[in-house]
Amino acid sequence: MAPAGPIGSLRRLAVATATLALLVAACGGGTSSSTGATQAGPPQRGGSLNYLVSGPLANWDRGLDTASGGAAPSIFEDAIYGQLFRLNATGDVEPVLASAYEFSDGGKTVTLSLHQGITFQDGTPLDAAAVAWNINRDLATTCVCSPITSWPKLGPDGITTPDDHTVVIHFTRSYGAAISALITSSVNHVASPAAVQKLGDQFKLKPVGAGPFEVVSNVVSSQLVLKRYDGYFKKGQPYLDRLTFTTIGGDQPAYQAVLTGQAQAVGLTTPALIQQARQNQSLTVALTPSTAPWVIQLNTAIPPFNDKRAREAIYYATDPDAMRVHLFGNLFAATQSFTGPAGLFFQAKVPGYRTHDLAKAKQLVDQLGGLTVDLFAGNDNISTTTLQALQTQWAQAGIHTTIRPDPDLTRIIQEFTGKKWQAALQLVGAYDPAVGAGLPFRYLSTAVYSGVHDTVLDQMLDDAASSTDKGKRAQRYADIAKYISDQAYSPYLFGAVTGAVALKSVHGPGLTSSIPLPGGFPAPDWDEAWIAKG
Amino acid sequence: MTATAAPAVSADRLIGRVAALATSPSLRLAARRLVIAVPVLWGVSALTFIVMSVLPGNAAQQILGVQATPAQVHQLELELGLDKPAWLRYASWIGGVLTGNLGRSLASGQPVTAIIGQRLPITVELVVYALAVSVALAVPVALLAARRPGGLADRLSMGISMAGLSMANYVLALLLVIALAVYLPVFPAIGFVPLTESVGANLRSLTLPALAIGLPLACFYTRLLRADIADQMQEDYVVTARAKGVGPWQVLVRHALRNSLFGLLTIVGLNLGTLIGATVIIEQIFSLPGIGQAFLQAINNRDVPLIEAIVLVLATAVVLANLLTDILYAVLDPRIRYGQRPD
Repeated sequence: MAPAGPIGSLRRLAVATATLALLVAACGGGTSSSTGATQAGPPQRGGSLNYLVSGPLANWDRGLDTASGGAAPSIFEDAIYGQLFRLNATGDVEPVLASAYEFSDGGKTVTLSLHQGITFQDGTPLDAAAVAWNINRDLATTCVCSPITSWPKLGPDGITTPDDHTVVIHFTRSYGAAISALITSSVNHVASPAAVQKLGDQFKLKPVGAGPFEVVSNVVSSQLVLKRYDGYFKKGQPYLDRLTFTTIGGDQPAYQAVLTGQAQAVGLTTPALIQQARQNQSLTVALTPSTAPWVIQLNTAIPPFNDKRAREAIYYATDPDAMRVHLFGNLFAATQSFTGPAGLFFQAKVPGYRTHDLAKAKQLVDQLGGLTVDLFAGNDNISTTTLQALQTQWAQAGIHTTIRPDPDLTRIIQEFTGKKWQAALQLVGAYDPAVGAGLPFRYLSTAVYSGVHDTVLDQMLDDAASSTDKGKRAQRYADIAKYISDQAYSPYLFGAVTGAVALKSVHGPGLTSSIPLPGGFPAPDWDEAWIAKG
Repeated sequence: MTATAAPAVSADRLIGRVAALATSPSLRLAARRLVIAVPVLWGVSALTFIVMSVLPGNAAQQILGVQATPAQVHQLELELGLDKPAWLRYASWIGGVLTGNLGRSLASGQPVTAIIGQRLPITVELVVYALAVSVALAVPVALLAARRPGGLADRLSMGISMAGLSMANYVLALLLVIALAVYLPVFPAIGFVPLTESVGANLRSLTLPALAIGLPLACFYTRLLRADIADQMQEDYVVTARAKGVGPWQVLVRHALRNSLFGLLTIVGLNLGTLIGATVIIEQIFSLPGIGQAFLQAINNRDVPLIEAIVLVLATAVVLANLLTDILYAVLDPRIRYGQRPD
């Protein structure tokens, strides 16, 4: 039964939005495909940018304190606090407030060097003591943004500061993904310790950092207005006078608001709207490939997927290419492993991967004496469309599937914690497979959200995360991809894209050109963003 | 003597007026309704709390998201006091309400009264504007249709109103934005300008949301009013007025419409709940920082104190609107005297 009230209405709104988007896209016609930015020229100073946010981005109820922001995405925090490190267009780590990092002691020690002379928006210094204070605070918090979810335990020395611009992190074991984990955690955002202590509870509403913008006003989960921080350490930056984040009810109204010029940029996830925006001459669309592909998780602890033949049947019955081409306008990238094209160690092809083969699927289903599957997922556009497609494809192989798109995050969590689920359509991976909602999150035997219970794989995951040698890590993750494929643990579907849509006058990395999404959400480089006048 | 006698007379008059007011049926009705409203509002708050309690999960799990470990969730539950029994949390909340303290939002930690105080005026303005739009459109169209039942205007207005009734207001909202903000940039597609900044800009920022809510309502009111006016036109007093040579428009407006407005008034009062419900979605689409937007976010966050407070405020508004409708009835129609025997 469809849920009543606002949630049900929102579901209907989502369906109506998708339908309307398809209709408008269908009526749009046109053959031009203008997606690139115009010749930008030198950045111009001044102007205001209104950036629209919806879905998970639109919830900053927990506030904008680095250590307690809940699951608040970093799009706001990047602007207020800046970043110690960030990813550049080629996916390499680029120091920002930090000047360098270095592994030592076989990967057990990480040394962070800081630029000197940086001050927070309250005038206090951003030095080694401030960074160490922040790291210790982040490690002690309940926030999922805490690095504690990824980092190994700290050694007896913990965090040390040999001088005012050097911070040393001492782990108990080698951890090659330390910087990736830092970028995707609250440690990357440094709050002013003096402001935290002075403002108390108010800090989360009006935080103070050393980033390119400072807070003017904050109506929680509705509108956040920022202005340029004149003391930002990069001379002449940021370019914008003002940056505003406004929440909106979904992709369709957001797209329309950009067309009216009331907002200048937005990140869209609805494929039909992204396609429509690409045909609009007044817009720039930068397609940002995903770091995390969609996967069908199979619970190997209980029937029917404790039988390898049932898992193989799912692999053979699934045709991701048909979905990519016919349902998502060929926007999504094919993948046979656990990172998307923008992630580290991406592999589009895995040797021996079971591709679509209806005859083999039918044969396996016959051997099993039939196969009935319960498959659940969230109820976003991509999930609901994919669920229906999977049900149809699997039916052709004789697999009877019950699909359950669920709008309620809590119920989804309870499905996993209840351990009775059979199959789930979810996102897997992260920029670095070792961190966040990456491989351990979905495949470790002890993880809540894992359907795999394999100690061999556990060890492989641990080994791959520990090395500081990128080449060695790549080989280990290739071995893991092959192992998961051989064991038929989880068929991968595709890596989705986010369309960064902006008016032609807007420029900047993440707004009009693609940069990797370390946290899974768009996070433009706000200090580089600018608007052409006239 | 005269100088002292005058105040005595005034005092007597005042006492007489107060006494008359105290025995006023309308006032007695209001007092009775307000007394009845207390258990109604308590029931609403208790039911809301029960519903939120039986839903799976809680604020801690919802706030921390899917990546949180059970230990992290448990720690936040302790911080938010969610480990206490549900009845104890409700008792504590209701105790606070009785002393004027609606508590703090579980998600943001802000005082609930501050959140409501910041957002309620926007929603109230939107509701009033939508109501005004719906009535302002419904009355003339209904008159035009009832002027000649079965005529072109009648058929056209009934057809349009049927189409309007069939359309969900969030679909209408998207279409209005395409038409009146994208193609014809007359109104803003998103955002809110406070009344204190500019009256004109404020009204422009609320026009499309008000139309999205008000147009379907106008369609409903039009059909209702048109049918009622058509009935009134068959009444004896209308025939008498016509026989006296009163013009057709005068008969419609001064006689038939006047009596039909009672029916409309009832429906408008009863519809207030629907109107408020529509703001939840419309505020999302138009990025209005009203109470509907906060309500939806609170539900997503399982933020029980904020949900309870918003429900209480909205339920109070509905109760008061219905009370006001009843009082207006008595004021407008001298034949209606609540609480008095027919004789």
